[in-house]
Amino acid sequence: MKKNNLLMGGVAIALLATSAANADDKPVSGGALRWGVTTEPACFDPHYASQQAAFFVARNYIDSLIAKKTDGTFAPWLATEWSISEDGKEYTYKLREDVVFHDGEKFDAAAVKANYDFVKKPENAVTAVSLLQAYDHAEVVSPYVIKLVLSTPDSSFLESTSNVKLGLISPKSLAKGDLCGGGRALAGTGPFVFENYTRGQSAVFARNVGYNWGPGNAAHSGPAYLDRVTFRFLPEYAVRTGALTSGQVDLIEGVQPTDAPLFAEQPGFKLLTGPSGASTSFTFNINYTRPPADDVRVRRALRDGFDLEPIVKQVYLGTVPRAWSIIGPANPAYNKALVGSWGNDIAGANKLLDEAGWTGRDSEGFRTKDGKRLSIEVGYPQPYVRDNRDILIQGVQAALRKNVGLDLNLRLITAGEYAKNNANGTWAIYPNTDNPSDPARELWDMLGSKGFLYSNIPNPDQEITSQIDESLRTTDPVRKRQLTDAIQKRGVDQAFIVPLFAPSWFLAAKSNVNGLGFEAGLDSPSSAYDFWIAKK
Amino acid sequence: MTAPSHRAFDTAVPLDVPEDLAGFETPHPSATIGGPRRVRLGLILSGVFVAFLIAASIAPSLFTHFDPLVGDFSEGLKPPGWAHLFGTDRLGRDVFARTVFGTRYSLLIGFGGVAVGLGAGIVLGIIAGQRNRILDEAVSRLFDMLSSFPGVLLAMLIVTFLGQGMLNIAIAVGIAGIPKFGRVVRAQTQLIRDADYVTQAAIYGLSRWQVFIRHVLPNVLVAIPIIATVYIGSTILIVSGLSFLGLGPQPPTPEWGVMLAESRDVLRVAWWPGVFPGLAITATVIAFSVIGNHLQQRFEGRLA
Amino acid sequence: MWSRIISRLLTSLVVAWASVTATFLALHALPGRIQDILAGDVEYPGLREAIAAEWGLDQSLPMQYFEFLSRILRGDFGTSYVLRQPVIEVVGSQLLPTVELALTAGVLAIVIAGLIALLTAGRGRLSRELASFVELVFASTPVFWLGILLLMAFSFNLRWFPVSGAEGWSSLVLPAITLALPTAGLLTQVLREAMEKTLDQPFVTTVRSRGVGEFIIRWRHVLRHALLPAVTLGGWLIGGLLGGAVITEKVFGRPGLGTVTLGAVLTHDVPVVLTVVLLAAFIHVAASTVLDILYVLIDPRLRAQ
Repeated sequence: MKKNNLLMGGVAIALLATSAANADDKPVSGGALRWGVTTEPACFDPHYASQQAAFFVARNYIDSLIAKKTDGTFAPWLATEWSISEDGKEYTYKLREDVVFHDGEKFDAAAVKANYDFVKKPENAVTAVSLLQAYDHAEVVSPYVIKLVLSTPDSSFLESTSNVKLGLISPKSLAKGDLCGGGRALAGTGPFVFENYTRGQSAVFARNVGYNWGPGNAAHSGPAYLDRVTFRFLPEYAVRTGALTSGQVDLIEGVQPTDAPLFAEQPGFKLLTGPSGASTSFTFNINYTRPPADDVRVRRALRDGFDLEPIVKQVYLGTVPRAWSIIGPANPAYNKALVGSWGNDIAGANKLLDEAGWTGRDSEGFRTKDGKRLSIEVGYPQPYVRDNRDILIQGVQAALRKNVGLDLNLRLITAGEYAKNNANGTWAIYPNTDNPSDPARELWDMLGSKGFLYSNIPNPDQEITSQIDESLRTTDPVRKRQLTDAIQKRGVDQAFIVPLFAPSWFLAAKSNVNGLGFEAGLDSPSSAYDFWIAKK
Repeated sequence: MTAPSHRAFDTAVPLDVPEDLAGFETPHPSATIGGPRRVRLGLILSGVFVAFLIAASIAPSLFTHFDPLVGDFSEGLKPPGWAHLFGTDRLGRDVFARTVFGTRYSLLIGFGGVAVGLGAGIVLGIIAGQRNRILDEAVSRLFDMLSSFPGVLLAMLIVTFLGQGMLNIAIAVGIAGIPKFGRVVRAQTQLIRDADYVTQAAIYGLSRWQVFIRHVLPNVLVAIPIIATVYIGSTILIVSGLSFLGLGPQPPTPEWGVMLAESRDVLRVAWWPGVFPGLAITATVIAFSVIGNHLQQRFEGRLA
Repeated sequence: MWSRIISRLLTSLVVAWASVTATFLALHALPGRIQDILAGDVEYPGLREAIAAEWGLDQSLPMQYFEFLSRILRGDFGTSYVLRQPVIEVVGSQLLPTVELALTAGVLAIVIAGLIALLTAGRGRLSRELASFVELVFASTPVFWLGILLLMAFSFNLRWFPVSGAEGWSSLVLPAITLALPTAGLLTQVLREAMEKTLDQPFVTTVRSRGVGEFIIRWRHVLRHALLPAVTLGGWLIGGLLGGAVITEKVFGRPGLGTVTLGAVLTHDVPVVLTVVLLAAFIHVAASTVLDILYVLIDPRLRAQ
């Protein structure tokens, strides 16, 4: 009896394996996918979203003019061809003529103009406006040709037009006002239609049956394979893992490193890590104008006062590398020269703090100067906390406390408090991973005088901001590369920024879920467009 | 036969007022286990445990040489053993050290909450306990109103107004606890007010005010430490719940509720960070309940 | 009897009115402008004006108060400016999973308490001691820790129940047990004491002398009498279950009112928290009123009055 069972088991596994292998060959249409994700987007409208984890959700219903390929070049999408004028100020796109928004409206040059003008309009206070700094106006050349005109050359603009934040929404939807709640009101042209959103629970997308305008970098064309995709918001690690193992969902994002072996080794599941390295690192961005961090010695002590390697290793169990630069190692613009150039110099850090006058000690062992504790607050907005990053910061906090007596005061704050601190320039340290875009644009956003973070501080660093501005203006790729290298170097050397690690995304799925992948432009999992479920 | 009571001082609460039962969180179950001899064993154990708790909150480093905030990063998630009695968490911090250091926060916030609730409860309870029907009615309805809000939710509302943090959850839990303290004090006041020796004092020509100051007030105040002990357990329970929700002290503070909240992320591979802080809470609450109930019964005995 | 019922109803109305009044007063007693308090931490053009218009802030305080009262009577709890949605929609969409959880847990707690009381009341010292120790332990255990332990045992190790969600009965089992046990701990205690008191009464001896079996006596006669005092705990039970549900949902990652309330507390979304708290108070008051009236109707001694 027992033997029999074993035998049967063996056969069953073998059968499963062969059927899986067969199924791998040819994608089939149909089926519904339930995807357990960490983050419930605060806003589903890509123009207004700012959470990294909101963008791959938006990609299911939002298309862009062009698509970014893994090698950094671009593929056609809603635009079939594009050209840039000699002076770098005019971008002309020839649009597909068969595209229809989910609400039945026709997609054309006027619709593109409506979107870009909407984002640019200051009253609309759109987050994505950072990508349109140089944008001046759009001209409808013919019903399906649009010319985007810039006031100054912008080396990041082509990439920006591939960005999901500048994705195209039906002008009729734009007129409705607040689209953050998603649902049918938010009509894009994407492979899925936004069916409904239940707060705290799920967002449901249904296949856009007439979809025939997939991006040139996708694995297939035509409509999506899946009938339906349900995003379920499961903020707890244990709950996501359990939901997948018990079959409540088919796919999860944000696998706890300790749970990774469970899916990598167990039959019936698969584990995927990607993209191969981050576009931007997870970093501490330091407000270098606010005491005590206005003193470069304090910032350098913070940067060098701990050994990052074992902390990253312990928290992520060796699944992600520590970072050396602001830009991630897989990004072509990564400045490799920074590797090994800083960090883990505890004696040096203590010496710097002594020199800076932080020589006293209080009852808890922290350094003091004139009776004031050496304390710098890390204000981490709650909606952005994910991927064990708060734990990583706690590790750094513990090490800095022990090694150099610096109080790195981690505080989880609300989005509103963050917005206020940002507007007043009163933030101290912001833990950041920049939304992916062109490297010059990323550096501008992260460190530039008009970027999202440093725009309201008094007297931003002249050297770095002028380098950033030049890197955006230049049309010479060699010069641009020199500048982005220099910016990365200065950022780390002055310890405006302390890079922490190069994040990866962890997906785990049932083994019959196929076509999973990552999208270069999002630096995150791709949309569900190419996903398919093998029939058993 | 004296049946163990499920409500503190319940002899004084008229049984036909059912709203009075709808107290804040607990009427806490009696902690008398079996006969007198058993009571003593439980009582001794509880007393010893509470003594440890107090020692641990005053001088936690007597019990452990590990730093509760800084661990060894290469020693993450080690199971309990000789090196680490309760194992380590994912940042290599010693769970035993964190549990010991956490005593301070739980006791501090717990007693803080009791102090706030009892402070307001004493004033209101004494007012209601006077021979003035209108005042009594008004204050009693106020208690009804406050206790109609579920305690945890009322505390959450107050935290919304005041913001997160240790002091604020103590205040929130205290306010939510006003009706239960107030009712106890009111009943106690009435009981003493109507006691023979007090009525006699009035007959001997003392004014009402003199009677109140000389006889009623001291006898009410004498009960305060006992009331505090009876309710500290349930208060610690609510406090730990609010901390667990992230409304109290922030990480890396080794507060028990915070530690349990952190433990969930590694629960599948490590049970220890999710077990020991919880044991500490439950043991603390039981110990205080046993002592509180014992004190309460002795006190009642003396009054009778 | 009727005067008793009517006075009970009036008292409840007064309490409900007082709770609404208290929240109104609390809002106005807080330092800072009421617009800022209600806005939570969002900021967008026209927000303050919209709040001022909705809450009638240009009117006198008494007028604002009457406006507030009448809005709540109409079931209008205002707008969540953080979520940009009417509060009643936000709360309404999350109500079902929470009510489902609280009800299941409540029934479970009553059944557990009834069974244990039935089996242990007036029995040998050992079983009673054991029972009262178990009761004490459960009543002293934080809900969320119990949840963590059950998750560890039954979801991660034995894999009997799913970890999360609000789909189907199996995802309800662990949260309901978690919420029910601490409640059952106290309920058992009350019920057992009441049963023991009843067992001492002469009528039990009379019934017993008629040769009725012990179980029948307990089930038919004693439990029924003992349930009466336990009924008065109904209000407390409901309040505790609603509060406990908030924490239980967090442990199990279950959607519901708790998740929404916690989110609202963290974003200072005052209108949402206020509504949840007021609704809970209304439910609490209504339930305890109904139970108290039932109590009067059932208890022959009170009925006779």
